[in-house]
Amino acid sequence: MIRAGVKRGTAELAVLSILEDGPLHGYEMARRIEEQTKGALRFTLAALYPMLYRMEQRGWIRGAWETSSSGRRRRCYRLTPAGKKKLSPLRREWAELFGALRRLTKVSHA
Amino acid sequence: MRDWEALVERQLNDIALEPEESAEVIAELAAHLAESCEELRKQGMTEEEAVRRTIAQVEDWQKLSWLIQTARTKENVMTNRVKQFWLPSLLTLLLSMGLLMLVQVFGPNPWVIARKSAWSLIAPVAVVYLPWLFSLPIIGAMGAYLSKRAGGSQRAMLAAIVFPVLPYSVFFLVALPVTAIFNDRLGHNIMFLALFVGLLAWVVAPAAALLTGGVLAQFLFSRRSDSRRTVSS
Repeated sequence: MIRAGVKRGTAELAVLSILEDGPLHGYEMARRIEEQTKGALRFTLAALYPMLYRMEQRGWIRGAWETSSSGRRRRCYRLTPAGKKKLSPLRREWAELFGALRRLTKVSHA
Repeated sequence: MRDWEALVERQLNDIALEPEESAEVIAELAAHLAESCEELRKQGMTEEEAVRRTIAQVEDWQKLSWLIQTARTKENVMTNRVKQFWLPSLLTLLLSMGLLMLVQVFGPNPWVIARKSAWSLIAPVAVVYLPWLFSLPIIGAMGAYLSKRAGGSQRAMLAAIVFPVLPYSVFFLVALPVTAIFNDRLGHNIMFLALFVGLLAWVVAPAAALLTGGVLAQFLFSRRSDSRRTVSS
């Protein structure tokens, strides 16, 4: 299980990455992230929405109310051009960090 | 079926957001909880257990309320202040100044209130541009509308409404008294009268005109949003 501090840093990357495939509402976003990370990243309501609102304020994502075929109203979030722009450097930073950690752990295990 | 919206509304009752914004947050969180609960029920949980597990997603509602409030407002303080106060204020000021200049150049002669007395030659007179004064309620209403549309508070709206009288207030309440103190060639009895008459003609009357339009507009907006809320509930 990944610790909370690292999770916080990766949470924004996770949301931006999952929204790259298309717009999603909060619940579905949390469900897919959990499914795709095999439970390593799990968002509760209390963790997810403050982050979504913060990202929306920064202009990385944009929420809009939509009505599903079942008649349920949900706020769907989609990636903005600013969010798409933010995604590549974030990916690069995390790739560098994980690469460095991999190299470090190999050295220490040797 | 559980009323998730009522539950979230009860828990977030102290959230300091604009009513429309907090209604949106409540609806969104309630939809999330409803969906979580339904999913747990599909997995075979009893209603009671599903509700318990769903509610357990939030350990501290007060903290969540604060986190949401901070997330939705903190990073936007400057932008909000500009949209809710500075923009409407400067626009009303510019419009009122521009209109006054137009009235002075193209409009009818101003209404001059002078005392018909032995000392009328030296007594201060009030120069009132009536067309300008009558147009101020519209400018006040516009200031209230712009501030309200940007989600401005009552205070921001009121400030935006009366902002055009600020230069006159500064002149009559600061510049004129300071001049009277340091310029000993001016008759202080006349200065006091001039201050009083000027304040009435250039600050009190325009502020009242601006407020008439602004407060009326504010009243109409609040009635409209009340009726919207009634329809949606």
